Amino acid sequence: MANYKPLIPTLVIYTILIAIGALVPGMWQPVMFVLFYVAIGQALNIFLGFTGYVNFGYVALLGVGAYGMGVALKYYTYLGVGAIVLGVILAVFFALLLSLAVGGVALRLRGAYFAIATIGVNEGLKHLIEGARIWGGSHGIILSGTLRKAFGSEFANYLSTFVADVFLIAIVVISGIVTIYILNNRIGYALLALREDEDAAKVMGINVTKYKLIAFIISSVIAALIGASAWTLKMTYVFPSDVFAIGYTVEAIVIVMLGGAGTLLGPLIGGIIYGVLKYYLSVILPGLQLLILAPLLIVIVVLFPEGIIGYVKKKLRYTSVFEYVM
Amino acid sequence: MIAEQLAANLLYGAILGGVYGLATMGLSLIFGVLRIVNVGHGAFIMIGAFTAYWMFILYSIAPVVSIPIALVIGLALGFVIFYSVIKRLVDAPELSTLLATFAIGLLIEEAAKVAWGSDYVGYSWDIGSLSLPFTTIPLTKILAFVSSVVIAAVVYLWFQKTKLGAAVRAVVEDRDGAMVCGINVNRIFALSFSLGIGLTVLSGVLVTLFVPVGINVYMGGEYTLKAFVIAVLGGLASPWGAFYAGFIFGLLENGSYTLLGLIPGVEPFGLTRFVSFAMLLIILLIKPSGLLGGE
Repeated sequence: MANYKPLIPTLVIYTILIAIGALVPGMWQPVMFVLFYVAIGQALNIFLGFTGYVNFGYVALLGVGAYGMGVALKYYTYLGVGAIVLGVILAVFFALLLSLAVGGVALRLRGAYFAIATIGVNEGLKHLIEGARIWGGSHGIILSGTLRKAFGSEFANYLSTFVADVFLIAIVVISGIVTIYILNNRIGYALLALREDEDAAKVMGINVTKYKLIAFIISSVIAALIGASAWTLKMTYVFPSDVFAIGYTVEAIVIVMLGGAGTLLGPLIGGIIYGVLKYYLSVILPGLQLLILAPLLIVIVVLFPEGIIGYVKKKLRYTSVFEYVM
Repeated sequence: MIAEQLAANLLYGAILGGVYGLATMGLSLIFGVLRIVNVGHGAFIMIGAFTAYWMFILYSIAPVVSIPIALVIGLALGFVIFYSVIKRLVDAPELSTLLATFAIGLLIEEAAKVAWGSDYVGYSWDIGSLSLPFTTIPLTKILAFVSSVVIAAVVYLWFQKTKLGAAVRAVVEDRDGAMVCGINVNRIFALSFSLGIGLTVLSGVLVTLFVPVGINVYMGGEYTLKAFVIAVLGGLASPWGAFYAGFIFGLLENGSYTLLGLIPGVEPFGLTRFVSFAMLLIILLIKPSGLLGGE
């Protein structure tokens, strides 16, 4: 039975967050910081949460998205605003290419093989770009000058401060809607079945490879769009060592597992908690974030595998608010 | 000129391949017995490399003597990790074990960074070299090769000739059947996990015998990727397959390094890493059960 009620709390939380950012002075940047983490959690959740497969090369998808936008803005600047549209197209195209290459090969196999295949994606791509000196190699793509020359400094500023943020907000909202759509759709049912027991799902006639690939591609495209907006448009540079940094993969995994894998509200709650904590902790503990995240992830996996929303859902069963939590 | 260079590189590749093979055996052993992929594999190689480095720098202990020291450190680490984390996850979904081993690897790396910093370090232990018509090989590299072959042979004999080794093979074959026969499967899990980690830490010492520089807390990532390529090549669950596959990988890697170096305008070193990744995808596409038969 289709249940779209959980969309209400989700949209309410989005609205509250954006309202805080817009109305409280000085809160816009912190809210965008948190929304970035919500976004990478939501995108990863569509794959990791729904299939139970781990993509250790997750950040590479944000990376290729960042490169898609970067290449368009750097080398096709003469298209004017059209370059941004081209950037979105390229980001999506790169994500499709990468997810089809990796997913098409490794998703035919079981989880362990897929995880093994993804662990090299990140480093492999980084070294390809650096080693073959593609798109500036290890020097990356620096856009601030190019953008100022092409669009004037006022519009270039507007692009990186306003357009990039609105773009990210749109991605967050859309990926939330996509998540609940999948949960209520035959794709979601098929994914649920294969996550619980892949062999049984196969015997029931579900084309498991197809549904895994669908989830992987959706997750990858959203991730690439996050990279294109929150990184390239906002920061106006793309460095291979930044956009292929494994830390973001770990953060996204922690957000999904903390909030509750495979749920709608999980990555949202996880992302808010993580984003707020990081915003305040990174001032106190610079450089120690992975040292804190790693044991946290171990503790969640061993003691608390269902995450916050999974736990809350169990507690709220048989109450009237249950159908609003998903 | 190129032919000589290629011959030298292939010889180095074969020698390095032996080290790679041993560095992957632990991964395959753990997967074969516990069905757990140790995603944090490289971090343990890093611990071994630092063991050799600190023993040499602080106490002037020859790196060869560090081999048993590293094994003991690895066994202890393996026991602690097994009883604190892995034991609770043996029957958990694959997702849990993948995330847990990944996080353990990160934790080890980050803790090492706090303790030792993130600088690249190295040592120089010169014991002469062997002259061949087309190249000279430092004896340390030959020592690394010989050690890894000897250690692999000892592990093989232990598996084949001792009662405990037979018990481990029984668990690999059929977990429930082994339990019915009175084998304490949990103890075998603990033993295999520790032995797997022990072999991996030990191989870190051999890695530094081959290349005594570039020791860094993040050096493991590269070896994790290589070990995965090798393990898949060898059939993932078979330590012996892994050992042979190590040779193939060493030859392919060093051969491609020479050939990539011929292309103007590229950095062959970075590209060999992309080659390993591409190779992994190709093997998974063509024959995921391993080129050497495997399971």
